[in-house]
Amino acid sequence: MSVEVERLVVPLAGVKISSDALHKLSALFTLLMLVGLFAFGNAAFLSVGNGMTVLLQTSVIGLLGIGMTLVILTGGIDLSVGSVLALSGTVAGLAVKAGIPVPLGMTMGIVVGALCGAVNGIVVTKMRITPFVATLGMMLIARGTALQITGAAPISQLGEAFGKLGNGSLFRAIGMGTNGLPKIIFPGIPYPAILLVVVAVTVAFMLHRRSIGRHIYAIGSNEEAARLSGVEVDRTKLAAYVMSGALAGLAGIVLMSRLVTAQPNEGVMYELDAIAAAVIGGASLMGGVGTVSGTMIGAFIIGVLRNGLNMAGVSAFIQQIIIGFVVIMAVYVDQLRSRR
Amino acid sequence: MNAQVTGSRPLVEMINIQKSFGGVHAVEDVSIDLFPGEVVGILGHNGAGKSCLMRVLSGAMAPNAGTIRMGDEDVRFLSPQDARRQGVETIYQTLALADHLDAPSNLFLGRELKTRWGNLDDKNMMEEARRVLHRLNPNFKNLSDPVFRLSGGQRQVIAIARAIYFKVKVLIMDEPTAALGPAETAMVADLIRQLRSEGIGIFLISHDMHDVFDLCDRIVVMNRGRNVGGYRIEEVTKDDVLSLIIKGEMPAGWRPRNAARTPQTGLSSN
Repeated sequence: MSVEVERLVVPLAGVKISSDALHKLSALFTLLMLVGLFAFGNAAFLSVGNGMTVLLQTSVIGLLGIGMTLVILTGGIDLSVGSVLALSGTVAGLAVKAGIPVPLGMTMGIVVGALCGAVNGIVVTKMRITPFVATLGMMLIARGTALQITGAAPISQLGEAFGKLGNGSLFRAIGMGTNGLPKIIFPGIPYPAILLVVVAVTVAFMLHRRSIGRHIYAIGSNEEAARLSGVEVDRTKLAAYVMSGALAGLAGIVLMSRLVTAQPNEGVMYELDAIAAAVIGGASLMGGVGTVSGTMIGAFIIGVLRNGLNMAGVSAFIQQIIIGFVVIMAVYVDQLRSRR
Repeated sequence: MNAQVTGSRPLVEMINIQKSFGGVHAVEDVSIDLFPGEVVGILGHNGAGKSCLMRVLSGAMAPNAGTIRMGDEDVRFLSPQDARRQGVETIYQTLALADHLDAPSNLFLGRELKTRWGNLDDKNMMEEARRVLHRLNPNFKNLSDPVFRLSGGQRQVIAIARAIYFKVKVLIMDEPTAALGPAETAMVADLIRQLRSEGIGIFLISHDMHDVFDLCDRIVVMNRGRNVGGYRIEEVTKDDVLSLIIKGEMPAGWRPRNAARTPQTGLSSN
């Protein structure tokens, strides 16, 4: 996350802080406040082990949130990511179960996600159906397909290799404790977290340094203006939906790999977490406003809230209520600022 | 300067253009032309079809029938990019700016400058934008602000800069001064004169009679989708033009005001 943080701190040195940076700063401040609060309540919260757990838990929402941000930036919405996640994960699981090598099976899962995204994009751009309805349809289609092809039963015993992506970690260091038993010196950086950082940096680069990124912002800002300026509106939107689908697929295999089971009913309502992450991070559902770094902060606010509240023994139901309030407050604060 | 008299070829000819939406004929069999260094005012009521005609020329709308000729060849504009490639630039009434992007991003939207690696060359775009915007308005600052923060005049300057930065032969200006104050309107008028002296042809859509008589060499009036008359500006008075706009015909017993000249046949025959 250091790249994101640097980008946030740099404007502080300058004279002017854009409202975009201001939103991110306030979101980041909220995140740090939450961390401080939970750390105060429970010393174990700040441990390296728990930090890695938060990273791991947040990576799925983070991946979905990045894809969601791309679509939201164009002025659309992708309600299908939770279901596409399940479909991609189960396709990968079925493929591996059928004897296809793990990397190939997982690639198939991502491809299926990208295809779902492509269908979303075509329905939105060619059939001129609003993104809400188009992706609502895909949400049902993908979930139904996932349940149908698995007979609604989880696919387990996928082998150790299938679980590597979700459970493995880099730089895991195990030493010998004083009592002669193995002791974990450093739990390692989970692969999903590394994946998240790579994807976040790549997509942020694409949004700010490539023309497709500029066009995505332009379309969400003023679609007609973009069209009149010669932007390939349909192609750019299609690309955004494909990327969202592919990232949902990636999130799907990460999640199923972590469980070492392909669950067709995983990921229900994840699309709402992804939207919440983007919105907390300053994205506007009207389009044209939002950043990957903001969405990352949003995803971590949700992740830290869940983790911290869990450690404090707060029930999952209360957690939902709290996150609901956070979403509304984030948007309210944002509006107050832009009204000024 | 009067290119038409010197006998040069038109920059662009629109011949028998037709456009209908369902049963509504927005543009019916309209032919107009434009010569280098000429400002032609396109006048008419709201809904008379003038914007529609101009959208056909700018590539934003495909005609049902008719041809567009530039130089010696017939051209087909399937998208705004096609038109731009032929040097037809448009300043839309809505300005067509992406509000959340800054001035350089808007200026180069759809034709971004890139580095060797295909990345956006923001530094270069910023320098170019500063150069061209300062030429139009020396007080233009805050280039890196999103354009929704800028004043109407500044936004207009960006829209104009976007049209003239690239090699423009034919410029379409749709109500360029409608949202501007007096100083900015004067700036736009000066700019139109300057572009005309550079040999650029301009179609000017305007409701402002003062602007029209001040800037145009020739006017074409549209009424209910038809071209009801094209005249040199010195042939007509404001009352004549209003009569054309409202009734679709000249007052009874009309004669060209500068009696020495005869009406332009081929322009007014429609």
